[in-house]
Amino acid sequence: MGKQMTEMLKGTLEGMVLAIVAAKPAYGYEITAQLRDQGFTDIVEGTVYALLVRIEQRGLVDVSKVPSEKGPPRKVYSINPRGGEYLAEFWANWSFLAERIEQLHHHIEITDEEGD
Amino acid sequence: MAAKWIETITGSLEQKKQYRQYKARIEALPEPYGTTAKAFERYFMYYGGITDGDTLVTMLGDFADLWERAAVDGTPVRELVGDEPVEFAESFTKAYGGKEWIDKERARLTKAVDAAARDTAAREDSAARDSAQEDRA
Repeated sequence: MGKQMTEMLKGTLEGMVLAIVAAKPAYGYEITAQLRDQGFTDIVEGTVYALLVRIEQRGLVDVSKVPSEKGPPRKVYSINPRGGEYLAEFWANWSFLAERIEQLHHHIEITDEEGD
Repeated sequence: MAAKWIETITGSLEQKKQYRQYKARIEALPEPYGTTAKAFERYFMYYGGITDGDTLVTMLGDFADLWERAAVDGTPVRELVGDEPVEFAESFTKAYGGKEWIDKERARLTKAVDAAARDTAAREDSAARDSAQEDRA
């Protein structure tokens, strides 16, 4: 994953993580693993951890501590109503962005073809 | 800067206790986690500039959780912090949004620009009035 992808992900990873915990409560490691399975192989646990801390501080997720056999308890994140509203807004913005960028893409392709 | 940060920590007894607990947890980490965690801690001191003790101890507590978890799971350091540790360190501290020493200056800058924008708008208004009067004269 290149630098450009990393930059693009900065604005969207939050929504992606919220979408994952909206489907099913999960802890940091599971969320990271799921993102990696979906092809975002360069996403590291630390990035997801920092992001989870941020959305927790902003009150978009609820956290429950689940004891684990070894080590500190795992923090399991689930979406709350405020997070749900935020996610809905994210999807609306995402659709707008994706649609407009795609339009721009086609527009440029057509212009290029006409130029030939 | 670092000294001031420590003073923040030593502010309240409860925070002092939590800070000592945090220190002990970091000390107890196996390698390479201990060394890595301490390297981040050093960076936090210079970069973070968080001045309220509560936010700071919460952040450090979470930070210790992260490393203890990694040590138990055997997560490689690289997989945890990625190729750009600086980026991780900064997004981690920013996530806490605590009061920072720079906040005062941020507010000052915002106010200065507000005032300048207001002055310009006021001058333009009076200039417009003046020229309207001249037109009538």
